[in-house]
Amino acid sequence: MGFGLRARLCAAALSAGVLAASGAALAHSWDEKVFSSHVDFAAVAAKGEAAIPALIERGRQLFKAKFTEADGAGRPLATQAIVPTLRKHGRNPAFTRTSGPDSSACASCHNEPVQGGAGDFVANVFVSEGFESAEFDSIDPSFSNERHTPPVLGDGLLELLGREMTADLRAERDAAIAKAWATGKDVSADLVTKGVRFGSVVAHPDGALDVSRVEGVDPDLTVRPFSRKGVFGSIRQFTINALNVHHGMEASERFGVRWTGSHDFDGSGVPDAVTPGDVSALVAWQATTPPPIERADLPADWEAAAKAGSKAFEAIGCSSCHMKTLPLKSMVFVDPSPYETAGTLRLSDVKEPIRIDLAKQPFAKTLKRDAQGDWLIPLFSDMKRHVMVDPLVNSLGNELMAQRFVARDTFLTPRLWGVGSTAPYGHRGDFRTLDAIIKAHGGESRFARDAYLSLPEDGRQDVIAYLRSLQIPEK
Amino acid sequence: MKRVLLLLAALAAFAPTLQASADGPPPVSKADIPVFHEEADAAGLHSVYAGGWDYFVGGGVASFDCDGSGYPSVFVAGGTNGGKLFVNVSKHGGPLKFVEKKDYLGPGAKPLTEVVGAYPLDIDGDGRMDLVVLRNHGVTLLKGGPGCTFTRANALWNFAGDPGWVTAFSATFERGQKFPTLAFGHYVDRQAPGSPYGTCEDNSLYRPGSGDAPDYSKRTALRPGWCALSMLFTDWNRSGVPALRVSNDRQYYRGGEEQLWHVDPGKPPRLYTRAEGWRHVSIFGMGIAEGEFDASGYPEYALTSMGDMKLQKLDSSEGRLGSAPVYRDVAADRGATAHIPYAGGDMKPSTGWHSEFADFNDDGLLDLFVTKGNVDAMRDFAAFDPNDLLLGQWDGKFVEAGEQAGLALDRKGRGAAVDDFNLDGKLDILVVNREANVTLFRNLGAANPGGKPLEMGNWLEMRVVQPNPNRDAVGATVAVKVGTRTMVRKIQVGGGHASGHLGWVHVGLGTSERAEIRVHWPDGEWSAPYRVFANNFVIVDRTKTQADYWYPGR
Repeated sequence: MGFGLRARLCAAALSAGVLAASGAALAHSWDEKVFSSHVDFAAVAAKGEAAIPALIERGRQLFKAKFTEADGAGRPLATQAIVPTLRKHGRNPAFTRTSGPDSSACASCHNEPVQGGAGDFVANVFVSEGFESAEFDSIDPSFSNERHTPPVLGDGLLELLGREMTADLRAERDAAIAKAWATGKDVSADLVTKGVRFGSVVAHPDGALDVSRVEGVDPDLTVRPFSRKGVFGSIRQFTINALNVHHGMEASERFGVRWTGSHDFDGSGVPDAVTPGDVSALVAWQATTPPPIERADLPADWEAAAKAGSKAFEAIGCSSCHMKTLPLKSMVFVDPSPYETAGTLRLSDVKEPIRIDLAKQPFAKTLKRDAQGDWLIPLFSDMKRHVMVDPLVNSLGNELMAQRFVARDTFLTPRLWGVGSTAPYGHRGDFRTLDAIIKAHGGESRFARDAYLSLPEDGRQDVIAYLRSLQIPEK
Repeated sequence: MKRVLLLLAALAAFAPTLQASADGPPPVSKADIPVFHEEADAAGLHSVYAGGWDYFVGGGVASFDCDGSGYPSVFVAGGTNGGKLFVNVSKHGGPLKFVEKKDYLGPGAKPLTEVVGAYPLDIDGDGRMDLVVLRNHGVTLLKGGPGCTFTRANALWNFAGDPGWVTAFSATFERGQKFPTLAFGHYVDRQAPGSPYGTCEDNSLYRPGSGDAPDYSKRTALRPGWCALSMLFTDWNRSGVPALRVSNDRQYYRGGEEQLWHVDPGKPPRLYTRAEGWRHVSIFGMGIAEGEFDASGYPEYALTSMGDMKLQKLDSSEGRLGSAPVYRDVAADRGATAHIPYAGGDMKPSTGWHSEFADFNDDGLLDLFVTKGNVDAMRDFAAFDPNDLLLGQWDGKFVEAGEQAGLALDRKGRGAAVDDFNLDGKLDILVVNREANVTLFRNLGAANPGGKPLEMGNWLEMRVVQPNPNRDAVGATVAVKVGTRTMVRKIQVGGGHASGHLGWVHVGLGTSERAEIRVHWPDGEWSAPYRVFANNFVIVDRTKTQADYWYPGR
């Protein structure tokens, strides 16, 4: 950030009614502190659409801001856990590469090829629950799962897809339950949304619901689009967790007095370091980042190969999970999400939510719509989890720890939008090339991998050419 | 009835507490304060616990699912007004609504009379909840039938009714038995010379016969009885064999005290002795609540009395923890004495009755609810004596929040049922009142000055079942783990003040979205973990490796 730019941006945000002058003013124009004031959630929500540009800009600033101790960075007394958890003893050092805090800014890792993008292998993080063995200084997989940094671009569209899918699945479940109560008989219901099947449930006439046949989603039927395992349902939930894990910045809506009895749970010396409005700024920026694109200005040979590769991608079965598009009915992003639970700001916690119409973002013009008027989101994923290893092809089974009830060999179908810009590949970034990661597909995806391998060399190159055309624009 | 020298004795008991809390404003809860709406009348609940001296104590309620809907209905003691059954017809998350079922004993049959209290328990293991009804002259066992109907079952189960003034109850399933063992606590022998002073009746223990049907023809006296007003089978030392704790009213005994009985399978019951570590404690014992603050496996107990309440924690300073039943009173340290009313300005001692640990704000911390109320017209004790809501704090203490919660009504509280009557994940409270209608407090959510109540923490409600015998897993411990914390709940029949509930087991989860349930089954076996998501009802069935979810039908 250039000389004085931070102060100018803050002033602009203040004038837009976004920031509350609750913090101490910057002592100097060269001050390293990030938070001279905080975003006032209620003010933004009340101001409506007019406040959104400044909110997004504030989120962009915060995403790349390097938090300092004066901002509350460091969580000296707390662990990285998703629920407030104190260390058993001692104080956390300012940075710890393994158990965190491991970076001073979001953009320190999410930066390839642009802010909000992916990271190289060097930017891998180490994911542990943060409960037992919360402090670890080894990258031995018995302590944590090492994970590659994915891009956050287009996340608003992903979250909206997740919300609509959740609503569909729950409606199917609820209908079965109601019918079972009414008829006194067992009622089975297929769980299908946007063309993706998530198994089935059986509702019994006594109200019990057998969820043993649910597939690829948690039994509460919440589609969680974020993280490699699909364990976060919203940008907001992910952001609060990441702020704590990576920067030691604790959001008051989870770590504040209401849930911990303290305004400074982590002992940083800064009470209520991150306000709900600050989180909303980060959410707004991530939600409105443009999604990756299918590059149009390819050289002729690449264009021809990519065209053939697109067909092959479907023919060999890649698109059975990496679905090219999923239809989205509404582009209105409401913050907070209707599916949040305690510890993340909920709709019931606020007088009115913040609404952002993604249809008014410039990138919306690039999205196609189907005959029903639904927006076709080109994410290349079914938003479903799959087992990715089998006895013969198991290099993706290199984690030892399950994550939030998701088995070690099971992963959310990664979005392939932008895959041409985000090497290396795989949840740990173990694979330098697209060819290598395709060959690593086992388990439920084994058939497509085998089909890919059965293609002639030119056919395989076509698939690679196609995937390489899915890029994150650098401008 | 006059209670002589009561004031001096009570004041002596809580004098240190008064000194400790004399100065400064009362602490304010940092945890969410749940807001309750009293709606008994609108809900159709009309029952007054009435009667003369014979009904100064008692006044209980049983809550349980009697129609398979999952919603807890209630059987309410009315003293001379008999016992009334109210079927819960509330809708999910909505206002509370009950309909009285007058013919619960069959067409034309009159309701039970002289009802002091009641506890639900599936005695015969048929999957329908039965009722143990405590009465002013004995006990009536009611066998549950379809559609919230009951039949008298004393004769069917060879039970002579345990004649006398029955004021307390607890049940356990002893190893090797097909049916539960029943313990009854008695109060004063009104026919004895010198009654009521020094004339406490013996208590009773009924072990089932060995046949294929309940047979309670054999009584074992629990002697001496010291006028029991609450009893609870509790595994105080993690031995796997529950002992029987009895809380006694010192008003009428001579030389009595609180009691703990060995009830070892196949052996005669016997009292814990001084040599074993049991210490003399003499209180106006009215109600026992069991809870675990720290998931140590060694429970804490809240004992109501007149004046200060006892909060007993197992003392580890004398030998290995669990080797001796030595308890330290930590009520003052934890801010839970509740010895005088917190509202109304009456500085005379309180009179506590029902006590129950539960998480009313779903923050993951145990709270303590206590009913209060003058015995009748005792001048030396507070006349305006509202129920307490002691909210657990993160520093291990409790903070009174009854007034802010809307519980500070002018009633004479007795027994209570803490249950989720509209299945919204928030615990409601039904209080039986002497000489006044019941109060029904619907939990609306967290106090939010100037706005509507807020949603509180995440929660979970569990139904824990296993094959017969003991299909409702009475005696099981349910451990719910979130992160590094474990919340413990016991499935028990007994305790409180003449009141009990059986059904959904509620736990608050705070900010956790997921939880892992492990069950320590009554036979000592631990279950594998059941992984579940918050804000749901789940059924933990011992025969299944995955919990079923459950949803209300209305």
